[in-house]
Amino acid sequence: MVDLTLEIRKTAKELLEKGEAKVVLGWEKGNFPYSTTPVFIDKPEDTERLIWDEYCINNLALYMLDYKHLDGKVGIFVKGCDSRGINRLVQDKQLDREKVILIGLSCPGMKDEKKAKELGPNADIPMAQKCQDCRYPDPVVYDVFLGEKQNKKVPEKIDTSDVEEMETKSPDEKYRFFTTNYEKCLRCYACRNVCPACNCKECIFDQTATGWLAKANNVSNNMFFALTRAMHVGGRCIECGECERVCSVNIPIMLLNKKIIKDINFLFGDYDAGLETEERLPLGGYDYTDPEEFM
Amino acid sequence: MSVNEVQQNKEVEQNWEPKILVFACTWCTYAGADLTGLSRLQYPPNIRILKVPCSGRVNPQFVIKAFQKGVDGVLVAGCHPGDCHYTSGNYFTRRRFLLMRRLMEYIGMEPQRFQNRWISAAEAPKFQQVITEMTEEIRTLGPNRKLRDDQW
Repeated sequence: MVDLTLEIRKTAKELLEKGEAKVVLGWEKGNFPYSTTPVFIDKPEDTERLIWDEYCINNLALYMLDYKHLDGKVGIFVKGCDSRGINRLVQDKQLDREKVILIGLSCPGMKDEKKAKELGPNADIPMAQKCQDCRYPDPVVYDVFLGEKQNKKVPEKIDTSDVEEMETKSPDEKYRFFTTNYEKCLRCYACRNVCPACNCKECIFDQTATGWLAKANNVSNNMFFALTRAMHVGGRCIECGECERVCSVNIPIMLLNKKIIKDINFLFGDYDAGLETEERLPLGGYDYTDPEEFM
Repeated sequence: MSVNEVQQNKEVEQNWEPKILVFACTWCTYAGADLTGLSRLQYPPNIRILKVPCSGRVNPQFVIKAFQKGVDGVLVAGCHPGDCHYTSGNYFTRRRFLLMRRLMEYIGMEPQRFQNRWISAAEAPKFQQVITEMTEEIRTLGPNRKLRDDQW
């Protein structure tokens, strides 16, 4: 990974020096050995800050929204999940594919920063859950590729065993499970802010005047937030698991998102968001042969 | 006994009646409901009909908000597939609510409380039957406390 870091810096420096890109998005070392933060480099001499290690877990795709109107191109380093995020934004017409230079990196799977914090410096840190289930370690779209591709076996289908386990419970048990989790929700909206599927100019949860979501923090309103968000990202979720990672109270948000992905696969045929940019979204279209349950 | 239980018991004691919100598409189901009345077909007075231009107008927030504000059941009804006044509105409804229904069931809502039906303008007996059945199902389930905002 050290070699790749040097290569990353070199590529970024070239892009900036030649003026091909105005900004380069990557990762830099955070305050702790187990943390990294996204970094925005616009001067060639700053490229020394860029790194590539086993904690570069942030999905950078959504930061492209901040550079939507930039005059010039943006260079961005993409892992598998970042590249799917980029595809999602292009599919939603939020981003012009011509305006980004994608530098692909093959992701060996990132380590769990929360576990690293708990276990201390010398422990063997396990891989983050989202990386264990990852099916696309290599970027699905890129202009330049650095390093070598992963030649490891990836699961063919999304792992929904946790969803299936939840489905077998009784209604009251399920309700109790979700409400005890969402009771903790602070509604800090970190999950929304970090989500590459959430790209509405004005979010429904910010429109306080319409009264959809009350300001009061109680289970009922938190559930409204959870369910509405799950429906809004339905068919767009790229399973990057960023929502769960940033959640400060550790709510299993992906349980809801994965349920919707599972149902979309079951009802409307297998669909993986963010693999291509032209097709209609599952909930943005319809088919005459959709299952008929309403009668 | 928790506050919720006290309130729940109180409601049962005070001759609780199910409260059902019906989102009716103006071209089919609303006209169907009208015909039910004109044909003098009796159905339980537990429903509140909310007229929408098309069943595709109903979005998931409407349903969750209804449960928050204290209804015991929600029915979304519209034209049969192929009959939509706006050509394709109900196809979108079908996809959306196929997912939504499964999601509501997944978080612990009883499936009977949130239903979807296709009812055309000519199907007065069907409207009567659907409303009667749904009211009975919800009556056996009892008052809904799930997702409810305590201030309502």
